[in-house]
This record gives sequence, structure tokens and C-alpha cells, in this order.
Amino acid sequence: MSVDLHDRLLSVIGALVRWLVYAMLLLPAIIVVATSLTPGTTLTFPPPGISLRWYIAAWESSLFMNALGLSLKLAALATVCSLVIGLAATFALDRHAFRGRDLIQSFLLSPLLIPTVVLGLGLIQFFVWIGLNQTFAGLLLGHIVITLPYVVRTLTASMVLFDRNLEQAAMSLRATPTTVIRTITIPLLLPGIISAMVFAFVTSFGNVTLSIFLSYEDKITLPVHVLTYVEQNYDPLVAAVSSIVIFVTVLTIFLADRLSGSKPVI
Amino acid sequence: MSQTADPRYDRINFIILIAPAMLLLVVFLVLPMASVFRASFYPGTTAIGSSGFSLNQYYKFFADSFYLSVLMETVVYAIITSVGCLLLGFPVGYSLARLPPAKRRVRMILIIVPLTLSLVVVVFGWLVLLGRQGLANNILIGLGLTNTPKQLLFNRSAVLVVLVQQFLPFMILSVMNVVLQIDPVLEQASTSLRARRLKTFAKIVIPLAAPGIISGFTLIFVMTASAFVTPRLIGGPRTHMIGGLVYDEVLITFNWPFGAAMSFILLAVGLGILATVSALIVRPLARGLHVR
Repeated sequence: MSVDLHDRLLSVIGALVRWLVYAMLLLPAIIVVATSLTPGTTLTFPPPGISLRWYIAAWESSLFMNALGLSLKLAALATVCSLVIGLAATFALDRHAFRGRDLIQSFLLSPLLIPTVVLGLGLIQFFVWIGLNQTFAGLLLGHIVITLPYVVRTLTASMVLFDRNLEQAAMSLRATPTTVIRTITIPLLLPGIISAMVFAFVTSFGNVTLSIFLSYEDKITLPVHVLTYVEQNYDPLVAAVSSIVIFVTVLTIFLADRLSGSKPVI
Repeated sequence: MSQTADPRYDRINFIILIAPAMLLLVVFLVLPMASVFRASFYPGTTAIGSSGFSLNQYYKFFADSFYLSVLMETVVYAIITSVGCLLLGFPVGYSLARLPPAKRRVRMILIIVPLTLSLVVVVFGWLVLLGRQGLANNILIGLGLTNTPKQLLFNRSAVLVVLVQQFLPFMILSVMNVVLQIDPVLEQASTSLRARRLKTFAKIVIPLAAPGIISGFTLIFVMTASAFVTPRLIGGPRTHMIGGLVYDEVLITFNWPFGAAMSFILLAVGLGILATVSALIVRPLARGLHVR
């Protein structure tokens, strides 16, 4: 292979861009965690020392802790609902070839492409009409709509790789359809299911753009609380709360990666 | 399983499985969007208990140079952000696809965490980073480029940097997914014919990766066009984007019909620009592949 000056230059530029991108992607999260450890009362980087006082303050703030509880509960419920709905739909689409299948698939992915401000206005207005405005059900339904495309996309990808001969082998050995689903289909799809759940969970947990329209009174999610807090205050307490959000996100992804064993989750 | 069941049973099965998803989206996506569309034609300033049909909201928008300039600015932001994400995201997505799976897995987590991390946390991180006592100012002072902390926030470039950072993972993943499907043999063949890397990229990789580039570009364009958290916090009160105006109409002034009209203008303009981009730039690029 001939490597001339042009190619070398290109690979140097490529490496620079990659470093820049990784640094840029990780920097905000690193800065947040670092500043949250400050013993002082201002947000400075690097912090002058290390202390957990702002985490204790966050723990003692019932406002933030209630919001954290709500966000975790909401994300868990939205994940379960959107997994059940999405798994059924993806399975049906995968097993039935017909005209218009791509159309239905794009329809299931479409919430990704609708600007959330527009969806937010649509849902808030629609909920007022049908009496679901300012209810937990409304908030949950909104989150199911926005997590569904992540579930469908991840599961579709994992079903493409699925070897259907294994199911046929089981059936030829007279296994009943339920046994086949329980012992072959679900275990094989498990890495895909886990990664779909991770995406749904972290998407719902971190969402702010839709939650801001559907949150109300005591049902205000953690990211929305952080947003309203940041608009008025600028202190390390919010850094500690944001770090908790980071830990939950990273932990979820890390656990899922471990759980799925040797197969890559994402 | 389909081969053992009779077709009628099979069809019922299919409908039962697909129905919940379809029902969910029809009721909580299509109907709300239709209601926004309807509300954009109400004559007054409230959507509840309103009736009648008028183009008042659309007149109001297009008659006011403020709204038109915000629309223009939003489009410019969206284009710069999408192009920026493409330029930075393509090399990363490409190199990820060409890495052995074990190495890729670790780096994927570095991409997935920022992708799924809450937007407010990311934006807050940038506020600290670019703040008066933040890392950026410390570096500038340390290098002797400035003596007093500079105001790095509340301007256009800061908004663009943060928008690019938050949407970059989408481009990286879209590019990676298509490049994974391109056989490396094609590139090796091109190299063995003494084509330079740049030429190989232009003639082989980019045309074949066009579908991933389009999908990443589309997603980022739409998301930037409707962004309101980033311009609000990073851009400050003088930065205006349509997403922020819609947000204000919905949650602050409660003028839903006008918010609805702006939403649909945003959607229409966005789709129009995306169609143009795809027809003028991306299609010819993909077509170039079939010329011998």
C-alpha cells in the first residue's frame, strides 16, 4: 500500500477530529461532576477541594428528592409500557411480510422526527379536551410516545440478526409455540430487549423538552426542576443534582452492558 | 410460527400484536397533531372553546419582520448545526465502524452516555464550562490571552457549539450504522488501484454512506430547528429561535392558536428545506456511484 503525504495528512486530521469529538462529548458531564464536589459556594473549575456537602444538601432537599423519585417511577413505567407495546409491534412486523410494512415501520419511528415543542403543544391541548391535562396518566402517555421509537428501532435491528432456523428446529422437535417463544425466541432477543429498555429508560429519565409541557404542581420531573432552578440560581447544589442524573444514566447503561454478557448491547 | 397456523388465525394474531402501538400513536400523536393544525386556524388568542376559521395567525406571522427574521435565524442555526455535526461526526462514525468490535464497544459507551444524558445536565455543564470562573476562561487567562474573564456565554457561537455537541452522537451513530454495511474490500480495491484516501472517500464511502448521512442530517435539522432549552439558557434573552417562541406562546402567554401556526410554519419550512437539500446535494452524490 502506498501511503503518500495526502493520506498521512488525512489520517492526522481524522485523529484530531476524533479526539476533539470525544473531548467535546464528555467534557460537560465531567465538569458537572467535578464542580459538584466543591466545598465552596461557587461553581468553579477546577474545584478548590473535595467535599460531599452539596450531595448532602441535595439529599436533604425534599423538592429534588421527590422529583428524583417521580422521574425514576415515570421512567420505569414508561419503559415497561413502551417495551410491551413496541415488542409486540416489532415482532408482528418482523414476522409478516406485506406491502406497506415499511410505511408502518416509519410511522412507529415518527415521534423521533416530530419537534417536541409541537408534540408538547399538541398533547397539552388534546389532554385539555379529553380531561387528561395535568394528570400523571398524561405525563406517562407522553413519555410512552417518545420512548416507543427507541424501542422499535433497537428491537428491529436485533430481529434482523435473528436466526429463525433455531425456532424451526425446536418446532420440528414438537415443541409447542409457547415453549419455543419462552426457551428460544425470548432468550435470543434478550440483548436487544435489554438495550431497548435502557434506551427507553434513559430517554424518559432525562427528557426535559416534553416533560416541561406535561409537568404540573407536585408532578414535576427532575430535569424540569433542574431547568427551572438553573434559570434562577447558580450554585453547586444543582451540580450535585445534575451529577445524580449522570450517575443514574451511566449506571443504567453500564449495568445493561454487563447484563447482556458477551454480546454488545448497543 | 406462521407456517403452522392457518392464514386467518395468522392475520388476527398480527392485528392483536400491532394494534396497541398503532392505537397509541393514532390517539396520542396523530390526533394531537391534527388538533394543533386545527387550532392554527382559530381567529382568536385562545384554543379552548374556540370556533371559526381564519388565517389570522398566519397573517400575523408573515406580516411581522421580527417573526420572519427569527425564522431565518432558526433555519441558519439548523443548517450550521447539521453541517457541523456532519463534519465532526463523519470521521468518528467511520472510524468506529472500522474498529474491531471489542474496541468499538467501549467507545460506543462514550457516545451513548452523552446521547442519553439529560439535555439540562449537558447545558448546565456548558454553563459552568464557559462561565466567568469556568475552565475555558481559566485556560484563556493561563495562556495569557486575556487578563480578565471574558463573557463566553450568551452569544451565537456558544449556542452553536452546544447544539453541535448535543446532536453529534446522532450523526456518529447514523454514519457508523451505514459504514458497517459497506464492505471494506471496496476501499481496499480502490487503494490498490492507487486512489488516494480522499478520492476513495469521495467516490466510494460517501456515496454508499449517503442514506446514513441523510437520516442523521434530517434528525439533527429537525431537532435544532425546534430547540428551545439551549438557546434559552446558553443564548440568553437576546437569542431567538422558533422553538423558544412556540414555547413562550404555549406556556407563558397561552396563545395556543398562534403557537400552533408557528409550529406548522416551522414544520413546513423544515420539510421544504430538507427536500431541497436531498434533491440538490444528496441524490446527485448517491447517483455518482452508478457512473462507471
